[in-house]
Amino acid sequence: MTSFILRRLGSGLLLLVVISALAYLLLSLPGTDVGRHVLGPAAPQDAVDAHNAGLGLDRPVAVRYLDWLTSALQGDLGRSWFTSEDVSLALANRLPVTFSLMIGVTLVTAVVSFGLGVWAGVRRGAVDRAVQLVSVFGYALPGFLVTLIIVLVFAVRLGWFPAIGYTPFSRSPGGWLATVTLPVLSLSVAGIAGVAQQVRSSVIDVMGRDYVRTLRARGLPTSRVVFRHVLRNAATPGLTVLGMQFVGLLGGAVIVEQIFGLPGIGAMTVQYTTRGDIPVIMGVVMVSVIGVILINLLVDVLVGWLNPKARVA
Amino acid sequence: MQTKTRVNAGVAATGALVLMLAGCSTGGGDTGSSSLTIGSMTVPQSLDPAEAMGSALPYFQAVYDTLVKREPDGGYTPMLATEWTYDESLTELTLTLRDDVTFDDGTPFDAEAVKANLERFRDGGGGQAQTLALLEEVEAVDGTTAVLHLAQPNPAMLYYLSDAAGLMANPAAFDGDSLTTDPDGTGPYELDKGRTAVGTTWAYTRAEDYWGEDLPYEEIAINLFDNENAIVNGVRTGQINAALLQDVDQQAVAETDPDVATQPQAIDYQGIILFDRDGHITPELAEPGVRQAINHAIDRETMLEQLRDGQGEVTNQIFGTESDAYDPELDTYYDHDPERARELLADAGYPDGFELTLPRMSQIVTDPMATSLQSDLAEIGIDLTWDNLDQGSALNSIFTEQAYPGMVMNNAQLAEDWVTVTELVLPGTFNFFGATDDTIEDLVETIRSAPEGEAADEVRALNRHLVEQGWFVPFYRMTYLHVSDGTVDVEPQSGMAVPSLYNYAPAE
Repeated sequence: MTSFILRRLGSGLLLLVVISALAYLLLSLPGTDVGRHVLGPAAPQDAVDAHNAGLGLDRPVAVRYLDWLTSALQGDLGRSWFTSEDVSLALANRLPVTFSLMIGVTLVTAVVSFGLGVWAGVRRGAVDRAVQLVSVFGYALPGFLVTLIIVLVFAVRLGWFPAIGYTPFSRSPGGWLATVTLPVLSLSVAGIAGVAQQVRSSVIDVMGRDYVRTLRARGLPTSRVVFRHVLRNAATPGLTVLGMQFVGLLGGAVIVEQIFGLPGIGAMTVQYTTRGDIPVIMGVVMVSVIGVILINLLVDVLVGWLNPKARVA
Repeated sequence: MQTKTRVNAGVAATGALVLMLAGCSTGGGDTGSSSLTIGSMTVPQSLDPAEAMGSALPYFQAVYDTLVKREPDGGYTPMLATEWTYDESLTELTLTLRDDVTFDDGTPFDAEAVKANLERFRDGGGGQAQTLALLEEVEAVDGTTAVLHLAQPNPAMLYYLSDAAGLMANPAAFDGDSLTTDPDGTGPYELDKGRTAVGTTWAYTRAEDYWGEDLPYEEIAINLFDNENAIVNGVRTGQINAALLQDVDQQAVAETDPDVATQPQAIDYQGIILFDRDGHITPELAEPGVRQAINHAIDRETMLEQLRDGQGEVTNQIFGTESDAYDPELDTYYDHDPERARELLADAGYPDGFELTLPRMSQIVTDPMATSLQSDLAEIGIDLTWDNLDQGSALNSIFTEQAYPGMVMNNAQLAEDWVTVTELVLPGTFNFFGATDDTIEDLVETIRSAPEGEAADEVRALNRHLVEQGWFVPFYRMTYLHVSDGTVDVEPQSGMAVPSLYNYAPAE
């Protein structure tokens, strides 16, 4: 397992370098005049040219990329071209926001969807049909609509939660919980629907296996059969989908962060990409790629731990 | 029975949790009268005055003072400069400065500081550096007297000294780039770096021993958003105290909430700026009749109703209602008359119309607007094609490559005529082909060399001439909505969408 993890980390590092080069190249394609964008239409052309030269944009892309890579390896991701903010600091400020959502959504999705999936798979009948109906409904609802309804009802109308903003956990745990609850709820709806279906199908499948019948014939309580034996084997598809959803949450967080005015990296990615702010975008790309690599590795390890047959040699 | 008890306990716990959360800090901002939280969609490039833009002025006004203060009605009053006088040639502006102001490190604010700031702004390559292009040098006569020597008269100089160019920073901080995130001015507040997250929230706390009259708030926060939906929700829940709404849908939501105080203001106009009045790209546009035909072809009333729910005023002129140039008659100079437009095209030698290609940025030219303009122009035979441009490449294509004969823009209607003349009429950014004619040149020279307020007739004549010649195709002035959670009174700033920081006060 150790060599497997090391190999995955090594290939992840290679992937990181390749993606960073590709991303830098794509972001540097001609067409975006950063100086003009920063200084606005009213600035004279010589000022725009001087601004671009000051950012090093008059040098070849390869040279700029190597400069960026050298600095990045030393922990310096540079400054935003548009707001002068330190990229590392900006990411440090914004990552906790998005991670709060991603981790919160994953936990809520895992608990609720596994609960619903197991319940439906074991009980079948009306419970199964109800869970399937609710899942289809939750999956079909547009995410932004769910978010808008939730914010309107629970924040604006009832005033139970704040409608916008984020409070760091370090400043106020209660405030943090208040500010992430509705966004997490909004993002969890579709995830719960998707994972619950996967878990339900797997549980039904595993419940029909011979060894489960044998265990039940030996008189083991249903709860023990389900939670100790069935779930262990049925969890793999659910966990895989959960892992994929965790990564996908980076994209899904964009709209929720915008509606709730949360200063996360989802909203940041959209704002800075449209402006062509390469230092910031590269920082986001690096963080995202590292996140994807680590999550995939974690899922592989977790699945292998749960089900030895699934272990990768 | 046991189950019921558990359920009741669960409900009680949930209720307690909700109550606890509801009472927690919301992260959006405090709502007491000693603090003010403003929602904004404008981001400052940095907090270095050399990089300041007028639209982001409140971020700077908290920490810097300007030489001249611009009042809500557009008038000028003393700030760091107590008096100002022009010489007879209007090329020497003498400023008398306060003698009781120092920066935090003890560096005195004096004429040398003014010289250092203005010359740095002019040469600093910022987005508005060109506003001081006519400034030849600043002469520090003595500690409290600075003379600005201009290459030629600039009737908007006081405006610029009350705007980005007039922000005064500590010259001792000019080395390096510390001012970008660590402002050093003489303003009423100091940046609270602990609560500031650049790109998200800028927090300010009251400066001790401010030389002027304190503003009413102990703390101010400007929170940046990228959509007005979040701003409206913030105002409705009291997490944002004040903001400006441009989107008509969000305006409608705010207006239906009885707890939200609203105040409309018609500021920016939307319309087509025709760059190519000499026909470099589209030869047909060199004919005044063609430009007039385009103006007659546009159904402004329908556009205003359909695109902005009628929130605005139809206009045919680029000058604002508070400027000397404004002429109410010119708001309806071109009625919607496709028949007349076709006649004008035929008289100009284009009875079958022509092809016109304009750039389209979806943030400004929405789908309904694109379709509406295409339909209106098609009715008189002009085949309008939109080139869809993304935000990153649009400015490059339009202003650097000068690839289009015009564009649809939102432009501020300022009270200061000369700023409008400089930006839109004189050869430059928005007149990059340098179009002009004898009438314009004569009027511009007269206006430029006239003492303040003594060229009202000429500037009005210039406005009429521009409208008659069809230099622009304005559609309407858009009504924006100042909104607050009821705890703040906001006084709109003449000719500016964003109120000055001085214009906020606790509601009475």
